[in-house]
Amino acid sequence: MLSIENLKIGYRAKSNDNILLENINLSVDAGEFISLVGKNGIGKSTLLRTLVGLQDALSGEILLNQKSVTSYTIQELSKKICYVSTEHVQIPNLTVFDFVSYARAPYNNWFGKLSNDDKKAITESLELTNSQAIAHRIYDELSDGEKQRVLISRALAQDTEIIVLDEPTAFLDLANKYEIFHLLSQLSRQKNKTIIFSTHDLNIAINESDKIWLIHDKNIIEGMPEELVLNNVFNKLFDSSNLVFEKEVGEFIRSRKNEQIIGLQGNGIEFIWTKKALLRNNFQVECNKTHELNVIIDNKEKLNWILILKNDKFVFASLKELLNKLNNCRHE
Amino acid sequence: MSKSLKYSVLFVFLMVLFLLDLYIGSVEVPINEITSGLFTGKIDNHIWDMILFKFRLPKAIVAVFAGIGLSIAGLQMQTVFRNPLAGPYVLGISSGAGLGVAILLLGFASFIPMAFFSNWLLVFAAWLGAALVLFLILFISIRVKDIMTILILGIMFGAVSSAIISIMEFFTTEALLKKYVIWTMGSLINVSESQLFIMFISISIGVAISIFSVKRLNVLLTGEQYAYTLGINVKKARYLIFISTSILAGTVTAFCGPIGFIGIVVPHISRMFFNTADHRHLIFVSALIGAIVMLISDIISQLPGSDSVLPINSVTSLIGIPIIIWIIIKRYKFSSTM
Repeated sequence: MLSIENLKIGYRAKSNDNILLENINLSVDAGEFISLVGKNGIGKSTLLRTLVGLQDALSGEILLNQKSVTSYTIQELSKKICYVSTEHVQIPNLTVFDFVSYARAPYNNWFGKLSNDDKKAITESLELTNSQAIAHRIYDELSDGEKQRVLISRALAQDTEIIVLDEPTAFLDLANKYEIFHLLSQLSRQKNKTIIFSTHDLNIAINESDKIWLIHDKNIIEGMPEELVLNNVFNKLFDSSNLVFEKEVGEFIRSRKNEQIIGLQGNGIEFIWTKKALLRNNFQVECNKTHELNVIIDNKEKLNWILILKNDKFVFASLKELLNKLNNCRHE
Repeated sequence: MSKSLKYSVLFVFLMVLFLLDLYIGSVEVPINEITSGLFTGKIDNHIWDMILFKFRLPKAIVAVFAGIGLSIAGLQMQTVFRNPLAGPYVLGISSGAGLGVAILLLGFASFIPMAFFSNWLLVFAAWLGAALVLFLILFISIRVKDIMTILILGIMFGAVSSAIISIMEFFTTEALLKKYVIWTMGSLINVSESQLFIMFISISIGVAISIFSVKRLNVLLTGEQYAYTLGINVKKARYLIFISTSILAGTVTAFCGPIGFIGIVVPHISRMFFNTADHRHLIFVSALIGAIVMLISDIISQLPGSDSVLPINSVTSLIGIPIIIWIIIKRYKFSSTM
């Protein structure tokens, strides 16, 4: 439904244009849930602003239903694409209901009188984000998570096929980040909305998105999150070699100096978290192999960590004690 | 209290104050003579008749028009600039209107005979002056996003207007200067019947444009990006609102001189009283409260029980400034923390 052909975006300047992204070719199907990821200042917001028409492309085409977006009037476009910006809306005495109702502007008359259809759309969009209870509160007095839900209601009330959101999960705590992601992905599946949004929460994006657009080297790498993981694409996100995308766990880790090799034997959840703790303390962990330094996790009756250091054997009841001992040995 | 009850309360309050404004003055006219006079159109006592119909009634009507005009102008400026401290006086729009009038009275009058200048010309000059300042501020606000900077620039425009006016005063003839100085004294009294008619038409046009822009005002309040993506032509909306503001603030300034702080304070009182940010209410509520506040200011300026009259501008400042300080302390903020 949306296709981007040879798009070049950035800012026009008198001498030479400041090009952020070029040769972009992408296509979007109805109902897709797409995360846009990339470093700060790389052009995420500019791309989204260009998509919704707030900014002109330097060259190339954005086609909406096989028609160039520039051939739509802004009134027509406002019924097709809506936009949720990162800007904080701080307006005294603005109620949630009023705020959401203004999104009906493309459909109602010059005075903004709400028809029954308008009212139905507003109520429904508030219900979809579970915001009915706060409908009559003042928007400015809500928590960040509630505000974001209201902004999504506002977008839903505009009743467009495509919703574009600029960093909807910024400023939110972890629980709210997951909730907003979940809400958006649910909307894309249940209501068949095409949702395109930028984010820095890569771990959640990989788990939830149908497709990821990753900005790298003035271009966009497009793909299913799992494919991008398998193709080692995520390492391109950071210039620094200190961060490495760990494919097995699907998250970024700091690359370690790995001063000392340690053998670790055991299984289950204790094994995974013991390994994490050892990695964090700059040990290179070898699984189930015996070297001069070995840790055996004994969880048969009672959880114990057994440290075998050359010929000595130590037993610890907690992970913290084990690590203290290991760090002490290292300093000696 | 429901919204319709609030409207009724305001309306009754307005009526009572209007009557009170007619009643209070240095000469005592019995209240029953005034009320019956209003219905029959004349009072038997010739002096009372003069006082009511030639003096107090026009003055009260001008107070109502000035309150409506300045309040709606202020409301629109606060919305467009998304700034709680915007208003025709602070942004230098009133000064711009004053400059327009000064150029007409002090400048052109030196070359063209005075009789040529009708009241309409006076109003046009004020509109043009107000619009000039508004569009200068708009031009700068595209480049400078910081609202406080825009406010300071508004104050500077005001200062520049005053400086130009001072220079013109220095070079002009005594007769013209006298005419101009009388105008700057700013009062509700100097408005003649024919001017009242012009004021009525101009304020009505300004208010009509404002009501016509109500949806645009609501959407603009939530920010330019939302306005644009909701299909609102932001540029056109701004022009429309600026024209309305220039007409409203310019007209009031042309006939009453610069009256400060009504434009800032009244929209705040309206928002708090109705607990809404919806312009479908705020335009009417601001108009009602604006008229009420101007009538109260006029009653205070009469210094009930004395023969002297205070300049209306001092009274509105004394009422307005404490409220503005309170707004600043409460950190009443609009958006724009981008």
